[in-house]
Amino acid sequence: MTNTKAQSTHNVSEETDGQITKSKQSTGAQLVVVVFILSLATKMFLLPIYLIQTAGRDGYIILSIEAVFDLVTLGILLAAIALSKDRTFFELLENVIGKIGAKITVAVIALFLFFKLNIAAAETLTFYSDNVFADFDSSVMIIVLLVFLGAVANHTLRALCRLNEFIAPVVAIGIVILITIVLATGFDFANIFPAMRDGAAFKRSLLHNVAWLGDFTPLLLFIGRTKTKKRTAGIAAAAGVIGSAVTVFFSIVMCSAFGNIPHLADSRTNISSILQFSIGNVYGRIDLLSSIFWSIAAFVETALFFYATARCVEYVIGKSAHFKIGLALCVILYFVQIFAMTDPTVFALVVSSLATSVIVSSLSLAAPVLALMCALIMKKRDKKQGNAPSDYSESTKNENYRA
Amino acid sequence: MKITERKKLIIYKALLFAFAFVLAFLPSTVSRNLEVNSRVVVEMLGLDGSDEIELTAQYVMPTETDGATTKDKVTVKAKSVTEAVEALNTALGRRAELGQCSVVVAGKDLKPHTLGTLMTATDVTADVYLTAAPDKASDAVGDITKFMKKSGATDADFIAFSARKAHIATVTLLNFLSDLGSASDTAFMPIIESLEEESEGGSGGNGGSDGSESSGGGSGGGGQDGQSSGGGQKKEPVGMKVEKLALYDKDGRVGELEKSASRGVAWVSSPVEKSVVTAEVEHGCENYLVSARLLKKSVGMKIHPNKNRAVIKVTATVEPNCDSYNILASKRDGETAAAIKRGFAASIKKEMQAAYDDSLAMGRDPLFVGREFYRFAPNFYDKGYSLGETIVDFSVNVIIK
Repeated sequence: MTNTKAQSTHNVSEETDGQITKSKQSTGAQLVVVVFILSLATKMFLLPIYLIQTAGRDGYIILSIEAVFDLVTLGILLAAIALSKDRTFFELLENVIGKIGAKITVAVIALFLFFKLNIAAAETLTFYSDNVFADFDSSVMIIVLLVFLGAVANHTLRALCRLNEFIAPVVAIGIVILITIVLATGFDFANIFPAMRDGAAFKRSLLHNVAWLGDFTPLLLFIGRTKTKKRTAGIAAAAGVIGSAVTVFFSIVMCSAFGNIPHLADSRTNISSILQFSIGNVYGRIDLLSSIFWSIAAFVETALFFYATARCVEYVIGKSAHFKIGLALCVILYFVQIFAMTDPTVFALVVSSLATSVIVSSLSLAAPVLALMCALIMKKRDKKQGNAPSDYSESTKNENYRA
Repeated sequence: MKITERKKLIIYKALLFAFAFVLAFLPSTVSRNLEVNSRVVVEMLGLDGSDEIELTAQYVMPTETDGATTKDKVTVKAKSVTEAVEALNTALGRRAELGQCSVVVAGKDLKPHTLGTLMTATDVTADVYLTAAPDKASDAVGDITKFMKKSGATDADFIAFSARKAHIATVTLLNFLSDLGSASDTAFMPIIESLEEESEGGSGGNGGSDGSESSGGGSGGGGQDGQSSGGGQKKEPVGMKVEKLALYDKDGRVGELEKSASRGVAWVSSPVEKSVVTAEVEHGCENYLVSARLLKKSVGMKIHPNKNRAVIKVTATVEPNCDSYNILASKRDGETAAAIKRGFAASIKKEMQAAYDDSLAMGRDPLFVGREFYRFAPNFYDKGYSLGETIVDFSVNVIIK
């Protein structure tokens, strides 16, 4: 009891003294939960709708391809986490490409994370404004989200991981209920056939709906800060596969429901309205309640992107100013959302442009690959030197940077 | 430094609390959370017309009596569904809550694309049950409203019962539109008809407008709808009948299937779980009429593009429950058991055949044979499939419990 209290006090001092600490911010179990949440959070909202509108009943195939791509990036990130047990992503970059190079790289990644943050936020807001609080002004609703995000920016990765642990069971329950309803009510899955009847539309859709890639990018922040065990990477990969399978499963459900009538799918269409298709009025709105449970995962994903963006900005600026940076990001996010992303036309234009697809797919892959390469290089260097990493805080110890 | 951080944290928490408080009591937030007794909940919609839409809404409105509601109907006309919904709001003097609507009644002349607009442009949900009126939807909604006032039934109970517990091919809005958009280009709706009895004229006095009826404490309540203005014979609905099916193509209703054919459609294209099956069993030069309860049913369709043939296989598990069955069962021999199975199989097959033949005469495909070819033999479908030229066989396997 005394030890626990002492440890707790120690943690508080860690969080408030503004110094870099070598204590791990995340456990292996927390990493697994984060991977699970990231794998299924936002791909269930607007992405299936865009895919149905552009590729019809083949939309699930494109989503599957994207899920596989993301799982590859997950594998690379997990390998980087396993290889670099003590050096953070920022330290890896500094040691390999130098401080200026690291800052430029992190700045680019921060922009990418901010873009992904905007997609996640827009999707969450769309879901709630179209399905849950139809009369609630989204310009007010977003403030609720921003307050939450601001709070996240002022806390540590550890706190975020604990929040994930708390929320994951609720999300899992929601998903189990939704899957049970679909399976128990005899959904017509055969309506996804025939596949690939319109190759040109499929190709066009594949190339123009890439903005949802890179969902695992916030895991960069877990490098060097996760207490991993031997099986952690394997279990985390399995969690990613399960989460992605769930997403693909529900995209199949949506594609089979709207395969014949893609023109009737719009932003109000979600997994809840599909389940109404099969459950009728008999079970009440348990489907919507379960969808809301699931949507909590989108909140957490948004928070992870916000946290990662804020920390990247801090690194680039070289100052630990959580409150100010969090506030600034909230303000920017508010204006971007209200004046651009909540407009369906602008949102569709931004996410479906070819330029977006090229940039997002490149960065989704480049960031994890870079992390892995740096981790490998540092591992080789350490091996050559024959000792444990000693340059951990040499370059960053004066940065007053707290995780 | 520590103090600064703590102060920030306290300020932040105070701001959070203040924000939550302000948000909860914002004039806009408060004003939008309308009291229940100032809402109008639409339970049922009726749609008529092709060029001009006629929207009939059966709505529930709370009354001043504690826990009481009143049920009534109103009809508005407009050029489109969205305009009709607007007109409905105006007619009721407040926003009609369409999210609770559980049944949409389609009039005879309704164009199916109107239903697509209803799903995408209004708050009507995709799971709403569809039913067809013999003629005008407004009349059907009126009859149903009268009957519901008598019985205290809600529309959700009424149609949901048919969906699972009766041998009726029910359909939801999304189902219907999906079927219509399929390669079979066919969809169906059960036709709802009122069972009427001869009665003396109503209490009169309302002169053509529907009177409203209060039902306290959620109970059904009775009473007459004051539509008639006294004198003469007036047929009052004493129940509802759902036996026939209306068939649709993209342009609208193309015809109706009678009871036997409708049951055939339900065997193949509807998730019927419980119903009553009756068969004539021929045994030892005698005919027995045996009824049974359907316990379980599974359907599969196998297509043979090379032979331009499809086989629809139905496996039905039934539980006979009548005296004639008891007489037959007492014989306890294999031949009798086979005869009973044959009898039920023939009965089910006859209904399915009727469904196929009758709908083929209208050029429709409610068993979705064409859709099956399109799904699993798309090249054959594109080149060689033609409704009517394909041989459709039915295979029925009956399991007696």
